[in-house]
Amino acid sequence: MTRLLGRILRLSIQQLTAYRANLVFEGFLTLVRLAAGLVALGAVFSQTDSLAGWSLGGTVVLLGTYQVVGGLMGAFIQPNLSFFSEQVREGKLDDILLKPVPSIFMASLGSCSPWPLLQVVLGAGVVALGVASGGLTTSSLQVACYLLQLGSGVVVAWAYLVVLASASFWAAGLELNVLYSASWQLGRYPVDVYHPAITCFLTFVVPIAFVSTYPARTLAASGGGPAGVGASLLAAAISLVVANLVWQAGTRRYTSATS
Amino acid sequence: MRYNLQVLAQYVRQSFLEWNAGRSFTFTLVVQAVVPPLIGLAVWTRALPGQDLITLYYAVLLFARLLTVSYEHHTFSSRIYSGNLIDDLLRPHPVILAPLGVNLAVRLWHVAMGLPLILVVGMLIPVRPELGSLLLASPALLLAAALQFLFTYGLALTAFWTEKAFGVVGIGQTLIFLLGGEAFPAWLAPSALKPAMNLLPFRYMLGFPAEIAAGQVTGSALLVGYGVQLAWVGLMGLAVAAIWRSGVRRYTAVGG
Repeated sequence: MTRLLGRILRLSIQQLTAYRANLVFEGFLTLVRLAAGLVALGAVFSQTDSLAGWSLGGTVVLLGTYQVVGGLMGAFIQPNLSFFSEQVREGKLDDILLKPVPSIFMASLGSCSPWPLLQVVLGAGVVALGVASGGLTTSSLQVACYLLQLGSGVVVAWAYLVVLASASFWAAGLELNVLYSASWQLGRYPVDVYHPAITCFLTFVVPIAFVSTYPARTLAASGGGPAGVGASLLAAAISLVVANLVWQAGTRRYTSATS
Repeated sequence: MRYNLQVLAQYVRQSFLEWNAGRSFTFTLVVQAVVPPLIGLAVWTRALPGQDLITLYYAVLLFARLLTVSYEHHTFSSRIYSGNLIDDLLRPHPVILAPLGVNLAVRLWHVAMGLPLILVVGMLIPVRPELGSLLLASPALLLAAALQFLFTYGLALTAFWTEKAFGVVGIGQTLIFLLGGEAFPAWLAPSALKPAMNLLPFRYMLGFPAEIAAGQVTGSALLVGYGVQLAWVGLMGLAVAAIWRSGVRRYTAVGG
């Protein structure tokens, strides 16, 4: 499986270099977006000391975490599941289903776009910046818990996208990729800033809370801890099971180009 | 002129019906368009509770966002890449009429689909805008819509030189988010950014009408704002014409 991932990565880099001008702009865009996020946070904290109980350092950690997960999704998952309904409509899934690897793996990780990995590196830098500038004291246990929750956040985000993409098996005309982008933006800030009903929605229905808020809370020491880690792991496990069940149910409905 | 307007009206009608066929997709675009102003509303009302002007500002910004959406990097750039632009070049009217028609139709759909949300937000906000402020904001809103179309269309034309225009347009959209008044209203911007916001076109593409409606821009500042907005529309129009002339000269369609 690792060898397969390595070859996918090499092939994707070759494809990426075909669009060199876009490559430069994409890189610049990553920097601009990150800077824009930091400036926006700076503007908020120039007017207040606390945002829904979060300090500036904590929200910077959250923004960095959001960027890390977003970069991983952009590099490995989104290139495969964006506009997935087209593959279902045109019967292009046949290839994937016939390969001797789990179809959910090939469909969601079959190709990659290495450029967003820069976002991962920069996001990690922003996390470090948040910890340093916020004067947050972090123990090795906290860091371990954070990394565990970060991994859980990636699983949750992957599962969410798989479930949205799977909707195409039932309604081939439905393209929920844009909806994913829209809801994804809500993770840029702590979910605590929203109305309690929306916070609840973002925790239990569209679990964006586990992508950035929960991991950042652990590192920012503003209410994290074992309960937060447990909740993240539980959310990841449930997401994994739900994504697999939905995918299997969906592929059973798939009838090639005529579906 | 009259002929061009008739052609434009036909394009609007045709695109409106075409987008009607993909209503579910249009709805997802509307959701994507309204989320950033709603996030801004949530963040700023949480950061500065009790400041009704911010609520009013973001409510108007929501409407401005729907009325100024532009997707030329999807709708028009793809015609350059696919070679379909050759069809447009052979038609007996300016090429810009087709993307403008699509743009207006898409905006109509956005406003129509976003209207229930605007009404709900309007009912929930504790303060009502003054009729005079709304009237003063209307021309600014129309100019913002024109400016944002010209800006996105101009960036979409980079498809003549690049293999993919998304990166270029993405940078433009991020600047609109940051300096256009979506991330923060201009009057709450960090002081280092205020001169840039006043001078660059981004604020005049989105936030300026909302500032007027919220009563934050009055008197001479209002006149200066209109002037800057008009100047940017003129400059952007000239820039788009120059980019088009230069781009179309190197366009060789598919296989050229």
